[in-house]
Amino acid sequence: MISYQRDSRETIPASAVKIIGLGGAGANMLERIALDSIEGAELLALNTDIRTLASCLAKDKIQLGVNLTKGLGTGGDPELGQQAMLEAENAVRAALVGQRIVFVCAGLGGGTGSGAAPIIARIAREEGAFVVVFATMPFFFEGRRRREQAETSLNQLAVLSNALVTFDNNRMGELVLAKQGIHEAFGAADRMISESIKAVIRLVIRPGLINVGLDDLMSALRTTRSRCLFGSGIADGKDRALKALRNALSSPLLDQGSLLKEAQTVLVHLSGGESLTLYEIELLMRSLQKHVPETAHVLFGAAIDPAMGDNLSITLISALPEDSLTAGERDSISHVSEPAAKPEAKAPSLLDIENPFLEIDRKAEAPVAIETRESGQPLVEASPAADESGDHQDALSITESRSEPPPEIGVLFQESERGEPSESEPKTPKKEERPFAESELTEATAGIEPQGNISDDSSISRDQPKYRMPGKQLWGKSEPPSKGKPEDNDPFVDDITPPSPPVEKAPAPQLKLDPKFPSPQSELPFDIAPKGRFEGENPNVFDGEDLDLPPFLRKKK
Amino acid sequence: MARRTKIHVGLEIGTSKTCIVVGEVKPDSAVKILGIGVTKSAGVRKGGISDFPQARACLKDALAKAEDASDVEIGSVYLSVTGSHMQGVNNRGTFRLPDNQPNILPEHLEEACNIARDVHYPQDHVCLHTIIRKYLVDGLEQSASPVGLFAKTVEADFHVVHGIGNRIQNSIKLVRECPLEVDDIVFAPIATAQMALDREQRLRGALLIDIGGGTTDYVLYLEGAIAASGCIPVGGDHVTNDIHLVTGLPFSKAEKLKILEGNASSDPSLSVGFAKLTDESGFADVEVKRAILNEVIRQRLEETLKLVHERLPKGAVEKIGAGVFLTGGTSLMNGFSELAFDVFGRDIYRPEASENSDSDHPSYRDPRYATAIGLIRYAQILETENIKPPGCLGKLFRLFWPFGR
Repeated sequence: MISYQRDSRETIPASAVKIIGLGGAGANMLERIALDSIEGAELLALNTDIRTLASCLAKDKIQLGVNLTKGLGTGGDPELGQQAMLEAENAVRAALVGQRIVFVCAGLGGGTGSGAAPIIARIAREEGAFVVVFATMPFFFEGRRRREQAETSLNQLAVLSNALVTFDNNRMGELVLAKQGIHEAFGAADRMISESIKAVIRLVIRPGLINVGLDDLMSALRTTRSRCLFGSGIADGKDRALKALRNALSSPLLDQGSLLKEAQTVLVHLSGGESLTLYEIELLMRSLQKHVPETAHVLFGAAIDPAMGDNLSITLISALPEDSLTAGERDSISHVSEPAAKPEAKAPSLLDIENPFLEIDRKAEAPVAIETRESGQPLVEASPAADESGDHQDALSITESRSEPPPEIGVLFQESERGEPSESEPKTPKKEERPFAESELTEATAGIEPQGNISDDSSISRDQPKYRMPGKQLWGKSEPPSKGKPEDNDPFVDDITPPSPPVEKAPAPQLKLDPKFPSPQSELPFDIAPKGRFEGENPNVFDGEDLDLPPFLRKKK
Repeated sequence: MARRTKIHVGLEIGTSKTCIVVGEVKPDSAVKILGIGVTKSAGVRKGGISDFPQARACLKDALAKAEDASDVEIGSVYLSVTGSHMQGVNNRGTFRLPDNQPNILPEHLEEACNIARDVHYPQDHVCLHTIIRKYLVDGLEQSASPVGLFAKTVEADFHVVHGIGNRIQNSIKLVRECPLEVDDIVFAPIATAQMALDREQRLRGALLIDIGGGTTDYVLYLEGAIAASGCIPVGGDHVTNDIHLVTGLPFSKAEKLKILEGNASSDPSLSVGFAKLTDESGFADVEVKRAILNEVIRQRLEETLKLVHERLPKGAVEKIGAGVFLTGGTSLMNGFSELAFDVFGRDIYRPEASENSDSDHPSYRDPRYATAIGLIRYAQILETENIKPPGCLGKLFRLFWPFGR
C-alpha cells in the first residue's frame, strides 16, 4: 500500500492548538480537559490567583497582574482583571505566537474571567489564530452585578472571537438529575465543554475521508455577532447512528435540535472506527435532515479513526445570529415584565422580526427616555444629594444638548464626578433605575458609533460602575443619535465596545426578570403549544418530552 | 376449611369512569359477579383526583347503580389506585445465618424479608404492597419456603410498590365520605392481573398493560412472580387530545372519530382517503384524512408502549413466554395489537369488545371492567392467604393506617 502525505496546509499540526483556561472556572474546565487527555493540544492556565494557578494541572501557567494583585484574586472586579491581563500581555502574546487555534475557556461574571477574556481573544486574533471561546454564564442567584459584568464581557467576546459558545450555569440542571451532587453538576458542564473542544480538535486535526477543515468551520460560523450552536454525541452498538445523533441533539446548546431550524450553515462531522458504513451515514444524515432547514448549507465531513473502535461520534456545529436567538425570548419576557417596562419591551419585539436594525432605535428611544425619568422620580426623596445633581443634569442636558454638544458633555462629566461621593451609599434605590439607564447607554452608543474603535486606549482607568451610572444615563439621554463622534472626549465609552446593532442589546434591561436570560435556549414550547384538555396542568415531562403534547407534533420537529 | 359465601366489592376510580363491581365468592372459591355500577368520571385527571366534589358525586352515582344492580347494600370496598407517582421496585434482603445455626429458622426468614421490604423511598411516599418474589438460599433460587434447609445465607426478593401518601389518601378520603369503608387498597395493574392472567401465564412470563383513559398501568410477571410494575400518565384521553390539537376538532367529535375510525396499526392501506362522521341528518359532519388521524393515534400509542418497554428491566421482554395482555378501554382501539406486536415482538392478547357493552347489563368480560373485577379476585386471594382474617383490633388499626399490610 502506498501511503501519501497529505498537504500539510490542509490540516493543522497538533502543536498549533492551544487551550487557555482563564480564571477559576477556566482552571476547572482545563482540569477536566487535562483529565480527558486531549492529544496534541497544549494547555495554558492564566489566573490572577496564585493559589489556584499553582494547583492547576496545565503545563504552562502565566500569572496575571504580578504587580497589581500580587498573587491574589481580583475580587470579582473585571477592571482589575483587565489591567492584570494587560500587565501580562507580552508573556501571553509570546505564548500564543504561531498558534493556529486557540480555545479560551472562561467563567464570565467574575473578575479575571470577564475582564481578561476579551483581551486574550484580541491578542490571539492579532497573532493570527482562530479563536473559539467557551464561556459559562453565572448563576442567576449570583446577582445582577455579576450578570451584567458577564453580559458586557460576552458582548465584547462575540465580536472579538471567531466562535463563541456560551453555557449558562442556570441550565446545569438539565445535564444532571436533581438529586445528583453539585460536583457532578459542575463536572457535567466541564465535561461538556471538554467534549466540545475535543470534537473541534478532532475535526481540524484529523484528516478525514471527506475532509472538513478550518475553512469549513469558519463558514459554518461565519455570521458575525453570533452564538455558536454546538452538539456532539457519541454512541456504539446496533443503533449507533441514530443514538449518536440523538445524543448530539440533546445538547443543551441545541435545545433538542429545535434551534437548528433556523441555521443557515450546518457543519456535520462524523468520526467512527473502521466499521463505519455508508448506510449508517446515510441513515444519520437523513434523520438529521429533519432538524435542519432544506435550504441550509450542510458541510459534511467524515473521518475514520481506528481509535474510535466501535464508537460513532457526530459533531454538529452551526451559528445563529444573536438577534434571531433573542427575538423569541424577548416576547416571552415581555409577558412578565412589569407594566412600566412594557412599552419599550414590546416595541422592539414586534419590530425586530421585520427589520432588526433600523427602526428600533427611533421607536425605542423615546419611551425609554420617559421611563427613566419616571422611575428616577422617587429617587429624589430617597437620596436628595445623589439625585439633585442627576436631575439637574438631566434638565441641563436636554436643553443644551441640541445646540452645543461637545462642551456640554465635558460639563456633564465634571458634574457627575462631583456627585460621586454622595452617590456611594444610597445604592438600593439606584438599582431600579439601572437597567433603563444601561439600555440607553447601549442604544446610544450603538447609534453613534458607526465603527468599532478597538484598542486605542484600552488602559484608560474606568470609574466604579456605581458611580458611572448617572454619567451614562444622562449622556445617553442628552445625546441624539445623529450627533458626530463623541467617543474622543468621553472616557466612559468602552474602548472595545462593539459596533453593535441595537437589536440584541435592547433586552438587556429586562435581565432581572428572567433567570435564564442570555442563553438562547429558553423553555419556549411549554407556553406556546396549546395542550387542549391538559392546559394549565403541570407539565407531564418524561425523558425531556412533554407527554401532554401530541407525539405527532413533537416528533415532526 | 369451610367458609361462608362472601361478598366483595371492587371500586376503581378511573380517569374516564368510576366503576363498582359487586362479586360473590362461593365457598368453593368460584366468583360470581352480582352487579356492576358504572358512571363517567369527572374531576379525575391522570389517575389522581382533581375535583373532589365532582368525583364524589360520580362515586355516589356509581354506588347507587351498583347497589341497584346487585341488590346488595355495600358497606366496604377494595379500592384500586394508580397515578404516575406509583413506583414498583425490586429489592433483595440478605440475611447471614449465625454461625451456630446451620438451619434456616422462620425468624431468619422473617429478618431477610424485613431487610428486603425496607426499600428506600422518598419521605412523602408510602408503601402500598410488598410482594414476595422468591427466596434464595446460598444464592440459589428457591421459590418455595426455605425454612428448615441447611444454608449459610438466605435471601428474600421482594417487589415493593410505593406512591405519594397524600394522593392515595385523597382517594381513600373520597370513599370514606361516601360513606364506605376501605377494606384494602391495591395498585390497579396488580388487581387487573388477578383477573387477566392465570397462574400458568404468570409462570411462563406475561406482561399486562392496562391502557385506561388517563394512565397506562403495567405489570410484568416472570416465573410466576411479579418483576416490574408502574404507571405512565398517558392514556386514551391523550389520544383524543392529540386528535383535537392536530385537527382542531372539538373533543366530542375527536373522541367519536377515535373510536369509530381510528386505527393504530401502521398498515398504509388503512390510511387511504378520508374518515367521515355523519350527524343525525345524514350529512357529513367532519372529514379528516385517515393518514393524519391514524398517524396521530399510532404515534401516541407507540410512544406509550415504548415508554413501557423502556421501563421494564433489561432483557425482560425476551423472557416473556405467554405474551402481552392488553386491557383497559384504549386497548379496544383498532389495530392496537399489530402496533403492540411491532413494539414488543411477542404474542399479543386482547379481549374482544363485547356486543352489549353499552346496555344496562355490561359484560363481565369487558376489558374496561378488568380492574374492578380483578379487585374481587384480589380480595378472594387475600382471604385465602390470610388464614386468620384480621380481628376487631386489626380492623380498627386498618381504619387509621390503611397502607401496607
